[in-house]
Amino acid sequence: MSYGKKDEDADLGLVKVDRVQVFQEARLFNSSPIQPRRCRILLTKIALLLYTGEKFPTREATDLFFGISKLFQNKDASLRQMVHLVIKEIASSAEDIIMVTSTIMKDTGGSTDAIYRPNAIRALCRIIDATTVQSIERVMKTAIVDKNPSVSSAALVSSYHLLPIAKDVVRRWQSETQEAAASTKSSGGFSLGFSSSSGSLPVNNSTMTQYHAIGLLYQMRSHDRMALVKMVQQFSQAGTVKSPAATVMLVRLAAQLAEDDPSLRKPMMTLLDNWLRHKSEMVNFEAAKAICDMRDVTDAEVTQAVHVLQLFLSSPRHVTKFAALRILHNFASFKPQAVNVCNPDIELLISNSNRSIATFAITTLLKTGNEASVDRLMKQITGFMSEITDEFKITIVEAIRTLCLKFPSKQAGMLAFLSGILRDEGGYEFKRAVVESMFDLIKFVPDSKEDALAHLCEFIEDCEFTKLAVRILHLLGLEGPKTSQPTKYIRYIYNRVVLENAIVRAAAVTALAKFGVGQKDPEVKRSVDVLLTRCLDDVDDEVRDRAALNLRLMHDEDEMAERFIKNENMFSLPYFEHQLVMYVTSDDKDVFQSSFDISKIPVVTREQADAEDRTKKLTATTPSLKPPKAGPTKAAATGADAQASAAAAAQKYSQELMGIPELKEFGAVLKSSPVVELTEAETEYVVSVVKHIFKEHIVLQYEVKNTLPSTVLENVSVVAMPAEEEELEEVFILQAEKLETDQPGKVYVAFKKVNGEGSMPTSSFSNVLKFTVKEIDPSTNEPEDTGYDDEYEIGDLDLAGSDYVVPAFAGNFAHIWEQVGAAGEEAEETLQLSGINSIADATEQLAKTLSLQPLEGTDVPVNQTTHQLKLLGKTVSGGRVVANIRMAYSSKSGVTTKITVRAEEENVAAMVIASVA
Amino acid sequence: MAGIFRKVYDWLLRTFWATEMDVTMIGLQNAGKTSLLRVLAGGEFAYDSIPTVGFNMKKVTRGHVTLKCWDLGGQPRFRPMWERYCRGVDAIVFIVDIADQNVLDQAKDELHALMSQASLEGIPLLVLGNKSDLPDKISVDELIDVLSLKSIGNREVSCYGISAKEETNLEAVLQWLMKFAR
Repeated sequence: MSYGKKDEDADLGLVKVDRVQVFQEARLFNSSPIQPRRCRILLTKIALLLYTGEKFPTREATDLFFGISKLFQNKDASLRQMVHLVIKEIASSAEDIIMVTSTIMKDTGGSTDAIYRPNAIRALCRIIDATTVQSIERVMKTAIVDKNPSVSSAALVSSYHLLPIAKDVVRRWQSETQEAAASTKSSGGFSLGFSSSSGSLPVNNSTMTQYHAIGLLYQMRSHDRMALVKMVQQFSQAGTVKSPAATVMLVRLAAQLAEDDPSLRKPMMTLLDNWLRHKSEMVNFEAAKAICDMRDVTDAEVTQAVHVLQLFLSSPRHVTKFAALRILHNFASFKPQAVNVCNPDIELLISNSNRSIATFAITTLLKTGNEASVDRLMKQITGFMSEITDEFKITIVEAIRTLCLKFPSKQAGMLAFLSGILRDEGGYEFKRAVVESMFDLIKFVPDSKEDALAHLCEFIEDCEFTKLAVRILHLLGLEGPKTSQPTKYIRYIYNRVVLENAIVRAAAVTALAKFGVGQKDPEVKRSVDVLLTRCLDDVDDEVRDRAALNLRLMHDEDEMAERFIKNENMFSLPYFEHQLVMYVTSDDKDVFQSSFDISKIPVVTREQADAEDRTKKLTATTPSLKPPKAGPTKAAATGADAQASAAAAAQKYSQELMGIPELKEFGAVLKSSPVVELTEAETEYVVSVVKHIFKEHIVLQYEVKNTLPSTVLENVSVVAMPAEEEELEEVFILQAEKLETDQPGKVYVAFKKVNGEGSMPTSSFSNVLKFTVKEIDPSTNEPEDTGYDDEYEIGDLDLAGSDYVVPAFAGNFAHIWEQVGAAGEEAEETLQLSGINSIADATEQLAKTLSLQPLEGTDVPVNQTTHQLKLLGKTVSGGRVVANIRMAYSSKSGVTTKITVRAEEENVAAMVIASVA
Repeated sequence: MAGIFRKVYDWLLRTFWATEMDVTMIGLQNAGKTSLLRVLAGGEFAYDSIPTVGFNMKKVTRGHVTLKCWDLGGQPRFRPMWERYCRGVDAIVFIVDIADQNVLDQAKDELHALMSQASLEGIPLLVLGNKSDLPDKISVDELIDVLSLKSIGNREVSCYGISAKEETNLEAVLQWLMKFAR
């Protein structure tokens, strides 16, 4: 940690700084008269310790602090400067720092041109407490508009730090800050205020003040969007802002504003476009990046930005090239066709001497390339593969892997490439990347299976990595028996038994067994039998055991052997993990009374798991319409994750509901809807509702919050009137006894399905909140004895078809579509979604309102004008529901959708569609 | 002529026999510590002064002696820190507002609490009854009784009535303090 420890042998006085020793020496501060030179050196040592990460314990820090406070008001200006500096640093760890406030204030004030003034201002903001801020108002105001940039900057930065503790006071300094931001002092280099002990401020010609001022203005106005817009527009005019850093800040601000408010998008885009032509590169980059990151950016909007970046690609400076390429690389992830124009320039960079640039160039090209250019690109890459390090090779292999999944028809060329580099020299990590790419090919591109397996067989003939050999053998065992000529692989596998170490031999035996068990061809079966029998003589226990076990399984022709060896199912791992974590971290002792129940974990077929895997791998790196930063919010919706989170939510509710005796007898909750708000957030009584579907009942869980101060609501109930009275019959209402201000309470209304457990009644409910209001007596803080009854009308609630549907996952949509179509009924509807103005939004909305799971990665639209969304779900009674939605977007009419729903059960299809309409 | 000799003499004293001494000024808030220090240092009396947050430090030079005066904040939150700044000084000055009878008891408690600290044993104490220009003041003898200064032992204790505003009796204060210059 300490700087000194590394250099213990060094003879220099300064580097041998030790915390304990410095603390001892600190007695010097108490000596009288003060020796400025020695004190300065000691302070420098303390500063060094603090800056190199050493931390003084509170007691030591406080002692030091009081020692240092004796040095105040010394004539030596440098000492004073140093004192302020160290106080600022030590302030966070010492106690009672408030003591020095008055003394430091003296150094900040007035028109003194003292060198320590900026330091004093900065130190002051660290030690001052909220109540005292007011008393330095005048000092700060004058400092902010000081003609010396160092003083002004110090005051601005200090205000920035003071803002959170004294918002109201600091906000009053707006006009001064505005003035500081607008003042264009002579530009030049930036120097800090330390130069000599002459005692007067050195001349500082920086424009950094503007950066600080704009940063502070933003903080002051961050709550007021209109003020921010005005500020951005004001400072974006040519000549008002000289500092490039300040302009970069404005760029970010403009981008943020455009993101937050769609109506501001157009003016902000114009500003960003102007900044693309700013004379500072820094600003150009920031503007280009902002444009590229803009949500749903159109091709026209981005052309200029890409053009600017393209120009930078041919800059002589590496760093410029790198920056431009990096932005393009990110952008290519979701809009490759827009980056296409730069391809000639990027191709030149492949052979750049800077390997970071070269790798970025290749991966960008792989993303932007179309099917036609891939071959050419592969050739180019092969040319220089031997020249680069493993690390870059891995990056390239990863890029090619995604490419394989994107263009399955190009698999032959890529497989050839992969097998080529597999033969090259390389470390484990690199080989692993290659082998895994080939695994993915086998999994997801069936055409390549035989070839890829052949390449892998060849690879294990001469493979120095045990781990890889084992994995390949496992895969051979899995895939080999399904191929047309299984015997071919048996030879390769047996070779391993003869030639390799015990671990590989054991894996080979297991792989061999998979060819034998359940084998229909007696010839193959006999040869496997012979080979396994030979393994019984192996020197290694494990190998012998496995061989014996598998021989036994081979001879017993029963279902058990089949299930054991060729298990195609596995647990849904994310859900499994979630359940385990819930079990282990449970607070309730009763949970541990029973052991973890593994049978509750849903089992998925390998096909399903693979499909999910593929979606994950594709969406990780391939084009999508939205910029990556929009990703995290949606990521939770994919595949099993969604199931897991839905299951967790259901579990939360079911625990709550099971705690209520009246509801317990309804059985388990089949489905809980997301929360529906029935009132605006700022009304007197805020009500939201969750719909729970039980086997024979429906329970509406109202959450009511009383926002009126000094009132208490008692006997709160909700009268929910279904429009279809013959289908639903009210059973009971559970009232909330007492609702104090801002304390949410719950009201349950239970209905019985009149037509029995299979029926799925849909209805709308009109809701009225009923309660007794009692006012709180301000003198006693107790509610008054008598209240008055009141009613409060709240919004209607719809119980729709989608409330009976839970999202489900499957690998092959077309297959299920046909299956369900054959067995059930179909409903169709064409809808005009005028309120939604992009395909991406429509996709998200539809999947949510239908409560169905998007399949095959169709939740991420690739095209902006047309899209096909494939959805699957199950009703609470278990019947499958499939939806196929085609949508088209035009700027005139919004999104037009054609929804086709197929369901196995009666009436469900129409019901589900109705929940959208 | 004599003036010139006087100046040369002072200069010589300062250069070769210069001594510095630390003096801590404490007392309840609004007793007049900061104002007194300002006047001692040769400044004008200020009618509107803000409460001291933490402490102030000023040097007062008289002949060859430099008094380094620490003027500590009198608000309750700073009182625990008095002891730390009184440690090892040459003299402690405790200032009382003799025109405000309501705070005298409080002042007595604070003073006695501080004087009972072992670390401050033997340090001379000067109690100053400030604002003697105001009509409702009590006399020095009364002050001695009210603060029961007689019960403070183990140190030299003196008590003067002064007025920072009218600059009465300030010379005596300085003379008393300079007795302890080392």
